[in-house]
Amino acid sequence: MIYSWKKIVRYSLPLLTLCVFIEIFAGQLLNSRQDLLIALPIFLIAIPVINGIAGNIGSILGARLASGLHVGYINLDIKDGEMTENLLVSIVLGASTYAILAILIYYVALFGGIQMSIGLLEFTAIIMGAGFLLLCVICIVSVFTAFLSFKRGLDPDDMVAPVVTTVGDTLGISLLFLFIGVIGV
Amino acid sequence: MRSMGMVKQSLPLLIACGLGGIVAGSTLSVMSEILQNIPGLIVVIPAIIALRGNISTAFGSRLGSAYHLGVIDAENMWNAELKQNILGSLVLSFLVSIMVGIIAYGTTVLFFKIYPDPFKLLSIVILAGIISAFILTFLTITIIFLVFKRGYDPDNITGPALATFGDIVTMFCIFGSAIIVEVVM
Repeated sequence: MIYSWKKIVRYSLPLLTLCVFIEIFAGQLLNSRQDLLIALPIFLIAIPVINGIAGNIGSILGARLASGLHVGYINLDIKDGEMTENLLVSIVLGASTYAILAILIYYVALFGGIQMSIGLLEFTAIIMGAGFLLLCVICIVSVFTAFLSFKRGLDPDDMVAPVVTTVGDTLGISLLFLFIGVIGV
Repeated sequence: MRSMGMVKQSLPLLIACGLGGIVAGSTLSVMSEILQNIPGLIVVIPAIIALRGNISTAFGSRLGSAYHLGVIDAENMWNAELKQNILGSLVLSFLVSIMVGIIAYGTTVLFFKIYPDPFKLLSIVILAGIISAFILTFLTITIIFLVFKRGYDPDNITGPALATFGDIVTMFCIFGSAIIVEVVM
């Protein structure tokens, strides 16, 4: 017997507990602006998308860097050409995905008959602004997590995904509120 | 120019995940009335979704490793090793759901001086946690079984598949549990 449920629970609980605290913080951010979200439910549709895309991009970048570091075509150097190229392509890829999905969300909400007092241009600008800034931070976090864990002899494949998804959830919600405030709804 | 392949291979997957996010987000926006009626409910949403993702992807990747170790395969799937893994996932879901409910209640009282109904909140979180755990465990086993039969590597399939379906299933479970609890209590 390799697996036992007691061991699975014991090994997973510490990381999950940490994750609960950070995610509850994200939930309290939502709670603090609940009135705004209920007045403009289109942002409720956007939240899982913003967080999901950033988490995916960060995880893909991390997995690519991990493979590059393991195989040896990426060096542990902040100026490594292959790494910077991957970083830039990730940000461009993410930004294009946000642009496509922002327009899609707007029309889903429009045809779904959801309360709309916001224009397509404003909505897209908010999602793109928050999304772009989030991508930049997430990709840098992903590079640092991959490099630091590799340097310490840990497998970046195990480290990057949990770190970027948790950072993405809290930061994504904060940046969304920031841009709603900046652009003004 | 390895990174150009990334755009071609990742963009369809990212758009698919984004569509999953839109379905999950639309469910959230349909819930806006119930979110208003049950204070504190919005706080638990990011936490439950993140935990569901973490617990079920870990379950999926353990089964992937078990396959590579030769512990389970398509002919010999329903064995003691699998049962320990299922039990571990279910126990974790139960414990962590209780934790989410308690921390969400505590922080809401502390930060917002709002007093949610603790029994209501805890019942919703536990019910949603357990129901989504059962559904996603069953879904993971089904995916793994199909992957084994075709001889693919489970590590490449379970992660993205669970990321896309997990959020939607979990959001439906939170919504459903909130309605059940609202009607019963």
